[in-house]
Amino acid sequence: MVINKPARAGTLESSDIYIMVQPNQGQGIEIQLDSIVLKQFGKQIQNVMRQTLKDLEIEDIKIIANDRGALDYTIRARLETAINRAN
Amino acid sequence: MSLIIETIDLESTERLQVEKFLSEFNLSLDKDVEQTIVAKIDGNIIGTCSCGGKVVKSFAVKKELQGEGIAAKLISRITNIMFDKGIFHTFIFTKPVNKHIFSELGYHEIFSTKDVTLLESSSDNIRRYIKTIKSQTSFGREDKAAIVMNCNPFTLGHRYLIERAACENETVIVFIVQEDKSSFPFDVRYKLVKEGIKDLNNVHVVSGGDYIISSNTFPSYFIKEEEHKDRAYKQLDAGIFGEYIATAFNIKRRYLGTEPYCSVTYGYNKVLAEILPGYGVEVKIIDRVTVDSKEVSASSVRKYIKEDNWKEIKKLVPETTYSFLLSSEARKIIDKIKGSELRH
Repeated sequence: MVINKPARAGTLESSDIYIMVQPNQGQGIEIQLDSIVLKQFGKQIQNVMRQTLKDLEIEDIKIIANDRGALDYTIRARLETAINRAN
Repeated sequence: MSLIIETIDLESTERLQVEKFLSEFNLSLDKDVEQTIVAKIDGNIIGTCSCGGKVVKSFAVKKELQGEGIAAKLISRITNIMFDKGIFHTFIFTKPVNKHIFSELGYHEIFSTKDVTLLESSSDNIRRYIKTIKSQTSFGREDKAAIVMNCNPFTLGHRYLIERAACENETVIVFIVQEDKSSFPFDVRYKLVKEGIKDLNNVHVVSGGDYIISSNTFPSYFIKEEEHKDRAYKQLDAGIFGEYIATAFNIKRRYLGTEPYCSVTYGYNKVLAEILPGYGVEVKIIDRVTVDSKEVSASSVRKYIKEDNWKEIKKLVPETTYSFLLSSEARKIIDKIKGSELRH
């Protein structure tokens, strides 16, 4: 799948994550992550995102994410939604 | 209790309700506000925020209801609104007491004065701006002088000030205001400065970006604001320059021209002279150069453009600016100046 235009999903409310995706043609995967639990779960959140991208066969994308303590499946759902909207 | 978030029609009487709500917090709607949203419970406003350009402002939530996640709802909605306008990197302008609300939402403080705080949505953007400028230029760690200019358009006055700084310092950085709210667009202003100082080898011309006299740091430069707001913005802009820009580039002097015409710039100069020495930056105010015993200014050039007085224009601008003004590229800008009452 290809990211054609900027899109977003999620909210900044507690236990949610706000995700913006943008095209990043030919430049690979770029993730800018802010989280209230960055120290404890930053890596885990990144892994969930990268796995989601892999499953959707996305190679070029810029993600700006602001996490408010979302669970893995929330992160996955928000990212998938943003990507669908970017199509 | 049902909470709803809705957009306010700023042209309707709803605006008055928002103004009334904000006045309880000693706030008002800034003049550059483009959109306002409110949180309501049973029809009563319990929170609000607005956006203007890249900045979220005029934010307030009723005291009894703070900590209930209303700020998160408001900021999510306004972020969506701004996203749909193509703005992905946002700022929040608020009172220092609200700082913690926004840090919890992932915003990062750039700078605070006694009265105001500016935060941004991404952690390393101001540093990224500094990095970009560094990668575009070739100076080292030597002491430097800086000048911030709009150059709308580049005149002999600007040239004189830059020359003066270039004589007195090893390296000079000229930051050109990036905001496109002037008659001459940024690209043109930047190009005319570059061409006009080609012979000065120790002068670097760069963009002022989002952090030096921009609508984010200093909106009242572009739209007239009430005095206390204007003063807060000037302090914010001066503080950011001292804290980040001067430190990153090792700037030890900032050159300013005396300002006989524009009260905003005059006041800004005064604030800079108060604040910058605290960051080890000496402020040098240089008398404006005169032609026919009148101070050269870009506003008089624009006035003469309006009057089609090319004889006077020629006296005030360098050859490079003059020939641009005669070119076909300048046609549209000149027409715009003739048809407007713009301050800048």
